[in-house]
Amino acid sequence: MDNIVTSSLPTTAASRNLSNHISPFEATVVKLLKQHGATVSSKTNMDEFGMGSHSQNSFNGPVLSLFKKIGVPLSPGGSSGGSAVAVASGDWWAALGTDTGGSVRLPAAYTGTVGFKPSYGLLSRWGVIQYANSLDTVGILAASVEDAGAVFDILNQYDPQDPTSLQPSVRRRIAANRRTPPKTLRIGVPTEYNIHELSSAVRAAYISTLQQLQNLGHTLHAISLPTTKQALSAYYVLAPAEASSNLAKYDGIRYGFRSEGPDALPRENLPLYAKTRGEGFGEEVKRRILLGAYTLSSEAIDNYFIQAQKVRRLVQRDFDRVFATQNPLLDSKPGGGGDEVDIIITPSAPTLPPTVDEVKKQSPVEIYMNDVFTVPASLVGLPAVSVPMPLSDDTVEMEVEGGDVKTTGIQVIGQFGDDELVLRAAEIVQNL
Amino acid sequence: MSSKIRRCAPATLSLFSNTSARTPRACIVSQWLRSRGLTTVDSTPSQSVPLRKHLKDEAKRKKAEAKGSHNDIKAKTNPHSDEWKLTVGVEIHTELNTACKLFSTAPATAADSNGLPNTRVALFDAALPGTQPQFQRATLLPALRAAIALGCDVQRKSGWDRKHYFHWDQPNGYQITQYYEPFAKNGSIVLSAEDGVSKTDLSGTQSISIGIKQIQMEQDTAKTTHYAPSSYHVDLNRAGHPLIEIITLPQIHSPQTAAAVVRKIQAQLKSVDACVTGMELGGLRADVNVSVRPRGSSGNYSYGGVSGLGQRTEIKNLSSFAAIENAIMAERDRQIDVLEAGGVIEGETRGWTLGATETTRLRGKEGEVDYRYMPDADLPPLIIGSDLVDHLRSTLPELPDATVLRAQQDYGLSAKDAKTIATLDDGERLDFMEETVELVLDNLGDDQADKTKIGKLVGNWVLHELGGLLATSNIAWADVTVSETELADIITNVQLKRITSRTAKQLLATLHELPPDESRPSVEQLIDDGSLRLRPLSGEGYTALAEDIIAENPEMAKAVKDKGQKGKVMWFVGQMVRKGHEGTVEPEKAREVVERLLGS
Repeated sequence: MDNIVTSSLPTTAASRNLSNHISPFEATVVKLLKQHGATVSSKTNMDEFGMGSHSQNSFNGPVLSLFKKIGVPLSPGGSSGGSAVAVASGDWWAALGTDTGGSVRLPAAYTGTVGFKPSYGLLSRWGVIQYANSLDTVGILAASVEDAGAVFDILNQYDPQDPTSLQPSVRRRIAANRRTPPKTLRIGVPTEYNIHELSSAVRAAYISTLQQLQNLGHTLHAISLPTTKQALSAYYVLAPAEASSNLAKYDGIRYGFRSEGPDALPRENLPLYAKTRGEGFGEEVKRRILLGAYTLSSEAIDNYFIQAQKVRRLVQRDFDRVFATQNPLLDSKPGGGGDEVDIIITPSAPTLPPTVDEVKKQSPVEIYMNDVFTVPASLVGLPAVSVPMPLSDDTVEMEVEGGDVKTTGIQVIGQFGDDELVLRAAEIVQNL
Repeated sequence: MSSKIRRCAPATLSLFSNTSARTPRACIVSQWLRSRGLTTVDSTPSQSVPLRKHLKDEAKRKKAEAKGSHNDIKAKTNPHSDEWKLTVGVEIHTELNTACKLFSTAPATAADSNGLPNTRVALFDAALPGTQPQFQRATLLPALRAAIALGCDVQRKSGWDRKHYFHWDQPNGYQITQYYEPFAKNGSIVLSAEDGVSKTDLSGTQSISIGIKQIQMEQDTAKTTHYAPSSYHVDLNRAGHPLIEIITLPQIHSPQTAAAVVRKIQAQLKSVDACVTGMELGGLRADVNVSVRPRGSSGNYSYGGVSGLGQRTEIKNLSSFAAIENAIMAERDRQIDVLEAGGVIEGETRGWTLGATETTRLRGKEGEVDYRYMPDADLPPLIIGSDLVDHLRSTLPELPDATVLRAQQDYGLSAKDAKTIATLDDGERLDFMEETVELVLDNLGDDQADKTKIGKLVGNWVLHELGGLLATSNIAWADVTVSETELADIITNVQLKRITSRTAKQLLATLHELPPDESRPSVEQLIDDGSLRLRPLSGEGYTALAEDIIAENPEMAKAVKDKGQKGKVMWFVGQMVRKGHEGTVEPEKAREVVERLLGS
């Protein structure tokens, strides 16, 4: 994807600010792929700096899905929409994306591909252009769970150049905790995910998935993740806050785009770089930078940034409470009664993909709503994979025409470090 | 001195993996950077003083100080300043003595080094997209030595935060610092009159203690060179160099003491090899916050847990001791003037340039940058084990106060001389003295020789005789040609009564003038060539010489004999030394003879 640096091709993060930027170094994940014989042939389009849910916010123009409704292309999902389309088209075997709040899982759900976001810290971020660095995760898009797993195995390595890469000692602890996957999975079904925005088509596919799993002998358990609602708000405080910081470096001095003429006009009351940054960033990026700059300001930080960090802890506790496996990053497991589960299964997105015309009519907040199912796993750094699931016959008959998408995404979430179990469960879902 | 820490964590970044700190290879980043100039409209006049002017002013100031006219360079003083209580807190930034930068393996650049611009820059230092900081553990060692030397509690856990502001000297758009959780807290520094604390601050006590609120590690900025009218060249070599910021409590009450605090902190840092260069070389910068309130009253403000203070202002970027002292004086007087005229002090940031009589407003509260401090999510917390702290504490080099004490106890120096010799020329004079003492003791080969007696003697020679020659010849200590061996030989000859002290002083003066090359004669050679060896007069010789002089000066003789003016005896001794052949008359013997003849 175009926010993972390569030294042979330009890396622009779909931003005017980095138009024609060629990195002097290569990302660790790219190096590893090449070492294993992969050909990294081109970069895929995306939302600028990963900010968006439909891959429409790109300096290089919007990404269009292969699917259409009444002749209008559908949204491929975002932000790694280009990678998803490349895989869906069959041109590429697999593609890398980045997942900050669902940017690999949502495009997978919208394009009928598999999108895997591993546990935070397993895959190196050295050379991955930051959006929100406490959430950014390199993800994998592929046609099958097995293919995604094969790429993951290559990239799952400690990288001393990434200070957030999980240390070998933590990796050993995770490996030691690993159990042989149980024959019958205890599957968590979070009651809070049954929101009224959930479309009937997605609901039908979700229920059908759960029923088939039960028919295979797996057990379903209603679980509660009470902080789910606040998670989305917390995400849209934290991610823009980190973005406002991470994107401060784009001043046009050392690389990238720079406006013509002088760029500091205090007499016109313009602060330094206002022109370059004003012309270089797109609207959505500017919106998030402003949001983030506000929530970090001395008057707002207590009510927004600090509160959001507290919510993030609560979200983590929610998950730690329901998973049978202990979080390997913590010393103890919070008790809380109720059933303990091996994995959680949810829809990946509340609706089927809208058309790009519909996206244009949506307000930013309506668009942010799309991330409601993917954001919690991002906040906690949990492994999560979106697997395509055929829509029910009824749905196809009533709602879907020729060129339209015929699948939606089902998300499998596991405890931190339980990436292999998540992939195994995803295979079961895939083979239903 | 301790050995300098010059090791780095194994380089993982290919750019610098094969380069040493001394011979950096031009890297890709630097080629890049050179391809991009930066032009802006010149918004504010540069606040910095040109280096040459600064050095000149400093030299002037030093001369004035040496002449003891230190107090003459005060700015105008408000006549009522005695009625106001001044309170000052200081923030000191100093570059750590490390081999590499705080978050990259690029070699660290000393402030005075003249490496090519933009050649010591790792990918992260240029804030290239996709790069991340990699904390270099070795940078922690000098920071910890500083914290220990300043009596701080080293925190087991501390963290890294981003401080945001846009400036071209800040490639990432933020500085990584330790805002929420600094690594060291609650230290203190003790100062006495010898450190330059004003008498009023001491108010009768031996010493005062100034609290150190905290010390934090942080990144330095890039260096900007201004080319008039509107070009700035940015050099990233310094960007990311590790700094520590030391914040004192507002417990200082005079400009003189504020300068003394900074001087003392600098000396402590230097003695433990924590920082690169002294203040006068740009390795150290200070910000001061200043407030006044009427004596005996209590203000409404509280800073660093010290309450009852007046509204304060901050003066930024002071880079010499004189600047600190004079800026505080000027700001104190300005605040008093404003308050006496019925005005109100604004909480604002002010600047001061050398030679100015007033501070100037840089920006008010409304113009203040909101730094939006945020924990850096890329960097794990810094965990410092107590075993490391204990090890560093036990191997810490001697602190200045301990050095002074040692100079007094081991070498018999007075408190004043001990302090002087320990602080002069970064302690090199003390080293010189210690070495000389050892050599003299060796020469004398006498186990019974009293080290404190020899120490006091050598101390005198180093401080006053050699020091006097330095002053009159206007030569810096670094250029002194006289060696420890030469001085020891001279002093040994005096001790063994082989030459007179008058001869000894002449020998020292002669050697001081000679270049340090192969033609340089030894002390023995000089004594032989000049026939300076003491050829003791016989008893009769002394008597004859004394009688001659007494006969020539009957009035003086009378004064001693009849009026009992014993002081005049020494006049005769002096005459004898002068009239006798060079190096033949020993004053003590001459005195005995004169006293005998004049019956006093």
